[in-house]
Amino acid sequence: MVQMTINGKVVKATEGEMLLAVIRRQGIDVPALCDHAAVEPCGSCRMCLVEITREDWNGWKKYVTSCLYPSEDGLIVTTHTPELQEIRRNILDLYMARCPGSELIQKMGEEYGLTRTSFKTIPEGDNCIMCYACTRICEVLGRSAISAVRRGHAKVISGPFGDPPPDCIGCLSCAHICPTDVIEWHDQDGVRGIWGRTFDLIACQQCGKTIITRDFAEYLKEKRQIPADYFDICDDCKRVELARKMGGLVDQAKEVAS
Amino acid sequence: MRIDSIEKLEKWRKECRRTFEARKRKVIVCLGEGCLANGSEEVFNEFKKQVAEKKIADVTVESVAKTGCHGFCALGPLVIIEPDGTFYTKVGKSDVAKIVDKTLVGHELIDKLLYTDAKTGEKVADYAKIPFYARQQRISLRHCGTIDPHKITDYIAMGGYAALGKALTAMTPQQVIDEVTKSGLRGRGGAGFATGKKWATCAKVQSDIRYVICNGDEGDPGAFSDRTTMGSDPHSVLEGMIICAYAVGSHQGYIYVREEYPLAVVTLQKAIDAAREHGLLGEKILGTDLSFDIKISRGGGAFVCGESSALMRSVAGAVGEPRAKYIRSVIKGLHDRPTVLNNVETYATVPAIIERGADWFAGIGTKKSTGTKVFSLAGKIKNTGLVEVPMGITLREIIFDIGGGVPDGRKFKAVQTGGPSGGCLPESKIDLPVDFDTLTEAGSMMGSGGMVIMDDRTCMVEVARYFLSFLVSESCGKCVPCREGLYQLRELCAKVCDGEATEDDLALMERLAKTIQVGSLCGLGQSGPNPFLSTLLYFRDEYLAHIRDKKCPGGVCRKLITYSITDACTGCMACISVCPVHAITGEKKKRHVLDTNLCDRCGSCYAVCKFEAIEIS
Amino acid sequence: MACDMAKIQEIIDRSPQTPGSLIAVLQDIQREFHYLPCEALQATAASLHVPLSKVFSVSTFYNAFSLNPRGERIIRICQGTACHIKGADLIQQQLTSGLGIKPGETSPDMKYTLEVVNCLGVCAMAPVVVVNDKIHGGVRCDKAFKLVTKD
Repeated sequence: MVQMTINGKVVKATEGEMLLAVIRRQGIDVPALCDHAAVEPCGSCRMCLVEITREDWNGWKKYVTSCLYPSEDGLIVTTHTPELQEIRRNILDLYMARCPGSELIQKMGEEYGLTRTSFKTIPEGDNCIMCYACTRICEVLGRSAISAVRRGHAKVISGPFGDPPPDCIGCLSCAHICPTDVIEWHDQDGVRGIWGRTFDLIACQQCGKTIITRDFAEYLKEKRQIPADYFDICDDCKRVELARKMGGLVDQAKEVAS
Repeated sequence: MRIDSIEKLEKWRKECRRTFEARKRKVIVCLGEGCLANGSEEVFNEFKKQVAEKKIADVTVESVAKTGCHGFCALGPLVIIEPDGTFYTKVGKSDVAKIVDKTLVGHELIDKLLYTDAKTGEKVADYAKIPFYARQQRISLRHCGTIDPHKITDYIAMGGYAALGKALTAMTPQQVIDEVTKSGLRGRGGAGFATGKKWATCAKVQSDIRYVICNGDEGDPGAFSDRTTMGSDPHSVLEGMIICAYAVGSHQGYIYVREEYPLAVVTLQKAIDAAREHGLLGEKILGTDLSFDIKISRGGGAFVCGESSALMRSVAGAVGEPRAKYIRSVIKGLHDRPTVLNNVETYATVPAIIERGADWFAGIGTKKSTGTKVFSLAGKIKNTGLVEVPMGITLREIIFDIGGGVPDGRKFKAVQTGGPSGGCLPESKIDLPVDFDTLTEAGSMMGSGGMVIMDDRTCMVEVARYFLSFLVSESCGKCVPCREGLYQLRELCAKVCDGEATEDDLALMERLAKTIQVGSLCGLGQSGPNPFLSTLLYFRDEYLAHIRDKKCPGGVCRKLITYSITDACTGCMACISVCPVHAITGEKKKRHVLDTNLCDRCGSCYAVCKFEAIEIS
Repeated sequence: MACDMAKIQEIIDRSPQTPGSLIAVLQDIQREFHYLPCEALQATAASLHVPLSKVFSVSTFYNAFSLNPRGERIIRICQGTACHIKGADLIQQQLTSGLGIKPGETSPDMKYTLEVVNCLGVCAMAPVVVVNDKIHGGVRCDKAFKLVTKD
């Protein structure tokens, strides 16, 4: 355990735990757009910048992204200074120029007193804030079907060659993790559409409700050693069956007792 | 032949020296990049041919030698006749016969090809007496222009690998580190971090694997010293790296060379092969326990890969995106192992320090910036090329005394140092001593030693716009302040250039610049606003002229100027043929007419007019 | 254009079959074909065990790589600082209008490809134009078109 000071309060944390998690546990609201518990931090949005210093730094201080900075003994952290708020406001201002249609960005901007961007709205901008949450989760849960392509201001998230990604298994992890809901998908008539591709959905053998895509099921069976019949029945039906079994056990127990 | 002991190395050196000095009279043709571009290879081949034909007593085909860059690129192709040091400039293939007949056979000088001192107007025959060279002190560039970069024997003859021998046999790794630390050597690639301290930190980290990387990604536009060193004296770089490997305990090194330097890759690879063949790389170097090898890693053409963490990702075959460096790469670098990363010039300097001692090196330059530094002179300056001077010399000495000042009778306006991360310094700062800290304090930086000189026909707002455009195209795009912020800053700067900006826009730019500096993930973004901030600091009146008066004092920004043709026009038709929008009409020997409505103010006519008949207002 | 898959595989096999070789392999393929054919990226992904998305990501990140076939004559205009100060824009303008193609484009007859590079490190010779690896220094804007089109 290490001991730090966050906004004047002495706080204990595990050594190496990222500052953002520790700060949030204190009930302090530090904004972050690219941080997500399911993926490794990447530090792209810069909203979670905090000021750090130490007793022995003789007044010297620096800004670090709290999502990437590990807790260490003796750290003095300040999360809200006028400078930090100004940086966050300017970053949101930039986001608003890039993603004028995003409700999330608009709402966050308003919290910082911005109603519209001070900059030139980017004509080709969409609601993607380039937080890489989708590509990061795809690396962990999927098959790295999508990636960031090109660089700098022209960078976008895409499948290879801008085509529907051949490695996609339709798991929806990217769509679910996306903070601005840019990744479109739909399930219809036993078929899922995402990234310009369509996937057959497996239906529950008992209730007929769709569970996951066949490709995803195959992938999980192969990579995660999940039993071959695992996706024959949906979770709801499994629960019902379990309840039935449990009920039978209770009945048996009663019989034994009597 | 494997050299497996220091005794063998010294024996070999004697042989090399004998061959190197066997022919007293030598014709040296510079095959550096600049001279090559001007046809020096043809000159070299022509010399070989002619010398073979003429059968001169003391000059044989073997006496015609090629070397890497001499630095004085403005005057290439360069030919030097030793031992007199006769220095011929702008030698063409057609001049060769004359040189062979007159100078090689007849021992006469050819006035036309000699260097003319700009100040005195006199011809200078001796290499060493030309002010461009006389003021220099060459350590990192010590062999550039004297040896054939493709011959390890030349390097050995000049004392090469003696420092390595000394380190391996007479010094402990710690003593090597101490020596480098004591020399005060600071990283020549950018921020000027203390080299010895870096090595010491790396050596202390517990790890069975350590890497030594040489950063040859010289991405700063306007800097070309690393290209020259890699291409003209590759073994100095290798020797520096091997000494570093010994000091920190590494077995594998990489040289990251940028995509744009294909010749450097060839030269380095040849040098590596030769070093391996002679037991100077690979297993049991010089018969000691040190085993170390070097691989070349070719860059893919990305400025951001000059940043250490991006470079290491690129070496590992991935996209060159930097990572947050809360754990420094010297502790956790390539493949998460402790890694020393220094640039070409730094490694090339190390052997000299080991050989001649830390005190010698520390005695040169200033107290906090010891030694010498190589500067690349380019832009609006007479003597473009490479110079190596002691730290602490003033900008004025470099630009005017060595560089010869601004050509075409124009006035000096600014010098840009440090590439896109640096800044522009005005005439009022020209007497500043050049060292790491002074340049930084003045709002610029040393960077990799690029100096681009600008004259009064340069618009400083447009220069800022240029650098911002450069950075926008080179940003990796990972973090928001750099990706979106630099783009918006560039748009605002373009607005100033177009005369459409307000003073509110300028305030917004300043606000945004601060956020990009503080908020960006890596050095590229953090220093990205520097070209804007430094031009604003020293040339605010130019920004205001664009904003308030809708005027471009440099006469560059297209929307704020008009071109016209004056009475000086002789009717030579040059401007008519070059005008891309056909805005100029006229006949031969009659004054031409420029249609302002059609003109898109590109300035092509101004550039080609020999009679100063194009006026900008 | 059909791709020589055997040649591609031969190039890939020259490097260690690990993800670390990715950039080197792509460079070797580009050197041979002057661009990266789609099939080559797929073969590289399979051989080096790298997801295709990452191969695509790398090939679009670095300037050295081109995903489109390039012309017989690759003309690169240096836009480094020194070249910029010495009128690289004027050269670009002349070549763009002369060749009828913008930077990044290839002429329909596959003869010329025009590219812009951020400094080639030959600043002393500014402004610089490179035609198929041959460096030309001190290029004048009125001579640029002739220089790049002459045989």
